[in-house]
Amino acid sequence: MTTYTGGCQCGAIRFRARGTPADSSICHCRMCQKAFGAYYAPLVSVRGMEFEWTRGQRKSFRSSNFVERGFCGDCGTPLTYEAPDGMAVAAGAFDDPSLLPPTIQWGVEGKIGFVDHLHELPAERTEADLTAGSFLHELVSYQHPDHDTPVWPPEDRA
Amino acid sequence: MTKTAGHTGGCQCGAVRYRARGELGYPHICHCRMCQKAAGNYFLPLAAAKLEDFELTRGEPKWFRSSDLVRRGFCGDCGTPLFYDIPETDFINIALGSLDDPDAVKPVMQSNTGRKMSWFHAIDCLPLEPEPDTSDREDAIAASNHQHPDHDTKSWPPGETL
Repeated sequence: MTTYTGGCQCGAIRFRARGTPADSSICHCRMCQKAFGAYYAPLVSVRGMEFEWTRGQRKSFRSSNFVERGFCGDCGTPLTYEAPDGMAVAAGAFDDPSLLPPTIQWGVEGKIGFVDHLHELPAERTEADLTAGSFLHELVSYQHPDHDTPVWPPEDRA
Repeated sequence: MTKTAGHTGGCQCGAVRYRARGELGYPHICHCRMCQKAAGNYFLPLAAAKLEDFELTRGEPKWFRSSDLVRRGFCGDCGTPLFYDIPETDFINIALGSLDDPDAVKPVMQSNTGRKMSWFHAIDCLPLEPEPDTSDREDAIAASNHQHPDHDTKSWPPGETL
């Protein structure tokens, strides 16, 4: 049985899912856009999987009477979309989202016109990022690593 | 309502609202692993507002210092990723999906493609859901939508005067 792990950026919340995801999708609806601060929400349904929170308690916002959206109260990472028929987890919060490519698009009434052309934009590597300037050579990340850890936060930052 | 040049936006619940005058600089999508995880997404769309043209019009974001050099702002009430900020610079980067009209700012570049999803180019070929259903559940969600509208409001939460 395949095991997938993940969590928020700071590592206060961690989760583990075992089995096969029911589906992996992107949702273009305006509620998912705004909740994620992005053009769509990529969501992996964990319905039918063995799922457990292995560290921390997510915070949640009731975005409508049917749906709660979970996130990390310490760093803000969007984590879940929780509906009466099951829960889906933010794909980018998995430690290796590349393993869970989406297979369908939802909420297309809200789809942003240029979204289909993003991959055609010119691309740069990190070193050339204009927003990063010259600081990259001295950047020390406080992001939780993309795997489970025995303690959080790291002892040298506790 | 008069429309001023620039952009407004905020989080899903409306506790944090902002306004930026003029055009946003360097709209791009960042594929780096830090933006991915911070946003729970495949990439994060960002563009910069000069601080002199930017103001918070409601509430304050919460900040996570993702490195010594960068902090990320989000709504502490609903979690929406809002800002990527390099303190001591004269600009702030806005998460573009938090704009009230994200369609109005088109990215010009992809950055940090080292960790880009290998299948990113294939997303636009994915099958589309059939016409949105109008099930009872969809109607109930629409009727009880707790998301802040995509424009400034006088009070928050709705119906209360702060």
